[in-house]
Amino acid sequence: MVRRADKAPDVKKAAAPQAGRFERIVLPHLGAGFTLAMYLTRNTADAEDAVQEAVLRAVRYFPTLRDDDARAWFLTIVRRVCFTAYGTHHQGTDVISIDAAGPQLVDDRDQPDAAASRLQVQQRVRDAIDQLPPLLREAIVLRELQDCSYTEIATVTQVPVGTVMSRLSRARTRLAEMLQDVVDFGDVA
Amino acid sequence: MSELPDLHKAMAESLPVYEAPAALRMWAIEQARAVDQESLRDAPSLASMPWVRARSFYKWRTAAGLLIAAAVGWGAASLRPAGGTTPGISATTNQLVDAHVRSLLPSHLLDVESTDRHTVKPWFAGKTDIAPPVVDLADKGFPLLGGRLDYVDGHSAAVLIYGRRLHKINLFVWRSTTGEPPDRSFAVRGYSLLHWTRGGLSYWAVSDAAEAELEAFRDAYVQ
Repeated sequence: MVRRADKAPDVKKAAAPQAGRFERIVLPHLGAGFTLAMYLTRNTADAEDAVQEAVLRAVRYFPTLRDDDARAWFLTIVRRVCFTAYGTHHQGTDVISIDAAGPQLVDDRDQPDAAASRLQVQQRVRDAIDQLPPLLREAIVLRELQDCSYTEIATVTQVPVGTVMSRLSRARTRLAEMLQDVVDFGDVA
Repeated sequence: MSELPDLHKAMAESLPVYEAPAALRMWAIEQARAVDQESLRDAPSLASMPWVRARSFYKWRTAAGLLIAAAVGWGAASLRPAGGTTPGISATTNQLVDAHVRSLLPSHLLDVESTDRHTVKPWFAGKTDIAPPVVDLADKGFPLLGGRLDYVDGHSAAVLIYGRRLHKINLFVWRSTTGEPPDRSFAVRGYSLLHWTRGGLSYWAVSDAAEAELEAFRDAYVQ
């Protein structure tokens, strides 16, 4: 099955009971930050570097974190590092597909035929996401995979909510063109 | 009747949600503990940051007296010696500590790995406009581990890496633009820094080893 990280993954468990504020508030979102970095940089080494840099910046700017939305705050830092340091805004051609590091997604109990067709669908969804321009890709990943609200996405990507909605709509239209036969897009398609 | 999944379900079933690699997570926990330790013990250093917002600081620190002390003793606690601390120095020391911490991550420490100073020194030639003295201090307890180029605070820096028992010392070297100020030591986020200037070169030693160790290192190095 799909590996879905909880909103507060195992960092929290590993933390000492007396864990300090930074550890309690920011570190639970390390996995979310790494996931975003993986979809933006599309390779593990850059994603790790980006998250390391983001943690260092987060440590430095921690005193400015006021409200409770540490996840959007940390994702904002991760995204900024990805876009500035790793040139995510360029449409690179030397792209390593994100599925290289992906988990085994198929349930062994499935019939061989059904399993094969599911695998094909999953591959097509990944390819379709891969082909989206970065700004549309990050919007749809934040929304559908990381369950961010429109407001959170607006914070993270530093654009108005209206722009977020327009990007999501464009992303869905593009995905619908590619995946119409395997995904139900409702009235978008 | 449609059995097709909607987009949310299709993406959730097709796209991995990653967890941070274990090494990265452990490293981040160490960073967090360092900053959390410091914020408890050394609150004025947080408050002395120019971008700090008193409101958030106040919200989680009940000791209002510390806040007042922080406002008065600007920077005094985070950077020694007290007084004469400038935001420029604070930015430099912060960046040096970041560079040091980054260098401790797997595969980031060394560009040229050698305990032989005759290998390390030529390696810098052509890569930087300075030629730092490369001395092996193994007999004094500071074995040379290698060298690296880095970019800190607007300088391209030659970096020599020395060991000290289980600790690493990053020695950043760049051309001095400020004459020859007196040697100074700093403590930032649990790391020690020692700065000295000799022969037109500015040296910054950064380590998690104790300040006294850095002084011993400097004495061995400048001899």
